[in-house]
Parts: sequence; structure tokens; C-alpha cells
Amino acid sequence: MTLSYVPGGSLAHRLDPRSKLLVQVGFVAAAYAYTTPRGLAALTLLAVACLSLAGGGPRDLWTYRVAFPMLAIAPVVAGATLGAPWFRVERAATTGLASYRVLLILVVAAGYVRSTPVRESRAAIQRAVPGKTGQFLGTGVALVFRFLPLLKRDLLTAREAVQARGGGALPVRERMRLVAVAGINRAFGRADRLGTALNARCFAWNPTLPRLALGPADYPALAVGAGLVAAAVATVV
Amino acid sequence: MIDVDGVTCRFGDGGGSGRADDDGAVVAVDDVTLSVPDGEFLILAGANGSGKTTLVRTFNGLVEPDAGTVAVNGTPVSDDLVAARTAVGMVFQDPRDQLVAATVGADVAFGPENLGCSHAEIDRRVDDALAAVNMGEREGDRIASLSGGERERVAIAGALAMEPDHLVLDEPFTGLDEPARRSVTDRLRDLRAAGTSVIVVTHDLRDVLGLSDRVVGMADGRVAVDAAPEAAVADLPGLDVRVPASFETDGSGRHTPVAGGDTASGP
Repeated sequence: MTLSYVPGGSLAHRLDPRSKLLVQVGFVAAAYAYTTPRGLAALTLLAVACLSLAGGGPRDLWTYRVAFPMLAIAPVVAGATLGAPWFRVERAATTGLASYRVLLILVVAAGYVRSTPVRESRAAIQRAVPGKTGQFLGTGVALVFRFLPLLKRDLLTAREAVQARGGGALPVRERMRLVAVAGINRAFGRADRLGTALNARCFAWNPTLPRLALGPADYPALAVGAGLVAAAVATVV
Repeated sequence: MIDVDGVTCRFGDGGGSGRADDDGAVVAVDDVTLSVPDGEFLILAGANGSGKTTLVRTFNGLVEPDAGTVAVNGTPVSDDLVAARTAVGMVFQDPRDQLVAATVGADVAFGPENLGCSHAEIDRRVDDALAAVNMGEREGDRIASLSGGERERVAIAGALAMEPDHLVLDEPFTGLDEPARRSVTDRLRDLRAAGTSVIVVTHDLRDVLGLSDRVVGMADGRVAVDAAPEAAVADLPGLDVRVPASFETDGSGRHTPVAGGDTASGP
């Protein structure tokens, strides 16, 4: 499963993308400001609420499974020492909280991605950041979100093709090499075809962007986002 | 009107499947001259590597000819790429290469948005294009949930939303089952009736021969046949393309037999 926009009528789907972006920014700031177990517990409730309000659930997090081993192993690496006492629990705990903080940010991001069409994200960015910088950022976001699902599907297809011809019996390193080579070849081909398709449809740096309008539900969301930013700033001033 | 005058396209060594010239470059299209009038239903037929896809990609500037010129509605393509790409809509062989959004409506709106149309105009074009392919109620559907035939129809809608003068479909029946083929054929019949110029690139003419006004057959990058379907059919099997055992010119009620035609699934 690739995490992408899922049409729906949830509260998060009805929110203006700018509100959702502010909540995300505020959440990230608060997560870096409040790293205590108590602070992270409060942010856990908020993160779960964000994903639930977008109609999502634990299955959406499966997309991020590649990151899980890294997040899990980080505290072990941080706590290990080359000599006695060989392992320092306080260091591992600090890094463990940091890993957990990243997981919470991924949860909130999952809620945003599944409730926000790519072109609305692009519109929100281009309206928030004026001029060519905004166009560049908005176009970048649009292309990345269009290209990544295709690339992932190509990699899966390459892996299935290797397995279908008995490649499952090969050593892991050889399988990784085969999938990587096929995947890179397909990625270049895919990028070429996507570029051709965008050209054929007159891809523009500054197209007509979707209408964005703040509704009644956006004001509480904006308040939450602003509150999170303010709470984060309060810890450093 | 599309005017192709002496167009030649070469690719570097190994860049295509046509024949090689003295320099080792592959000549995909070799000195082709052709005109496609408005409102015509044209079949561009040929075996794999005959140069037909490369040729149609010069119509909207996706491929730049090494020699010769292509003009759309009197304006050279190289002078105004946006005008050419607006006038010549293109549906690629694999619709997955063409669909760039998560939902049907967003994908069909992609072209008009790039053209800078107003929101009302975009909404109208999306509604009209989806209605033309019988997907008017599917605007909110996810692309990932569509069947192959439905994706083909969304790809056609995406091209129609640009309101082109000419619609080019590259191998539109590849990978489609019979119901999906019939559905796409029905849409093409509707477009023909509405006066849209349609150019179908294919090596399998069974579904579309009866719809066509003219057949251009290509071999080795050159035009080998250029005639009305009744006159062209005699030469088509020699180009390694698949033709029906007989065909009926749309609405005439008269069936024309085809020597060497496919008896398995002709119309």
C-alpha cells in the first residue's frame, strides 16, 4: 500500500490545506520542544486525533515501515558504549524519545497526505510562498507526490519479476542488486515517460490553482496550529 | 489541419527499432509527407518499429524532427508548442504513463489548469469530457481503483478536456478485454459523430477499420499505403498488421471482404 490521497468526507478532508499545514508545522515545533514522556504523551493523543479525523488508522502507518527498524535501533546504538558499562540507559532513553517523536510526526503527516489532494498542497504552498520560489516549491511537491507512487510500484514489479523466475532462492545481496538495477532502469524510463506526459498536457509552472477558502472548521484548526507554535516558542524565550 | 512535410526523425545508435542509416543512427521516420484534415478519422497502421508513434509525436512537438516541418492549423509546431499541444490531444499507449493525479476529476482537470482556464471553464470541461467517455458520475473515484478500460477512458477524457482539434490515440486497445475494447470503440464512434478529428495509431485494425475515413500504412519509417479503407485493405496484410475478415463502413450496411483478414474476431 502506498500512502496517498484518499477521497473522503472526513473533517480533515473539509479543512483548507493551509490550516492543515499550520497544524503540522506547530506539531513538529511542539514535538521538538516537549521531549519529556509527559509532553510526548499529550502529543500522542493529538497525533492519533489528527489521523482519525482524516479517516485513517494504523494501516496507514504501514507505508512508513521502512523507517521503523531505524527508529527502533537508534536507541540501542545511542546507548551502546565501547567500554564499561557497555550500555547507558539514560542515553538510550533520550534517543528512544526522539525516535518516538519522529513516529508521531509521521502519524500527523499520514493524516495530512490521505486527506489532501496534491494540487491543493501545491496551491497552499504557492499561496503561502509568493513568487517563483513558491512556484518552484509547489511544483516540486506536486512532482514528488506524483512520481513516488509510480516508482514504488515499479520497484515492487521488479521484485515480483525476480521472484517469479526463481530469484527468491538467490542470496539477499544478489536479489537487492537485481531489484536495484531494474528499479533504477525503470525509474529513469518512468521519469522520461512522466515528463513526456506532462509536456503533452502543457505542464505549466503557474497553472490555475484550485480554489482555497477557509471555512468555519478551519478556525479551530488554525487555533490549534498557532497554539502549538506558541507553546514551542515559549520554551525558548 | 495537420501538415507534415518531408519529416525525418533519427535516433542515436540503439535509440529505436527502425533501420539504421550510414552513420549508424536509427531512422524512425523517413521523409514523410502527410496532411490530416479537420474532422477526419485516420488510422495510422504499421508493425512495431514502423515509425508510427514517432511520427504522431511530432504532431505536438514531443519529438522534434531532424528534417522537415510539421504545422498544426497553419502554425509550425516549433513556433508555438502550447498551441500545438492544445490542438493535438494525445492518449498514450499505456494510460498509466499519462494519468498524473490521484482522482479521476483531478486528472482530467490537469490539462485545463495548465492552460490557465478559469475555474468555471475547468469545471465545464471536466464535466463535458467525463460525459463524453461515459464517466460522468466517477469524478471522485481514485485512479488506482479503475480497470484498464476505465483508465483508457479517463486518459481519453484528459485529452478531450484540452478541447483539441485532433485526438491522437496510440494503440488504444492494447491490453483491453473485449468489453473494454467495445467501450472505447463506442466512445471513438461518438467522437467521430461529433466531428472530432481522430487519429488512431495501431497494428490491429479489427475494431476501427469500419470507422475510418482513411488508412495510412507505414513500413520502415515510410508511408507505404495511403488510401480509403476499401482501397487500402488489399495492401495492409503485407504490412504485418491485423485486419478483420470483413468490415462495414460505418452505417452503410455494406460489408467489404478483406483478403487475408482475421476471421477470429472481425466486426
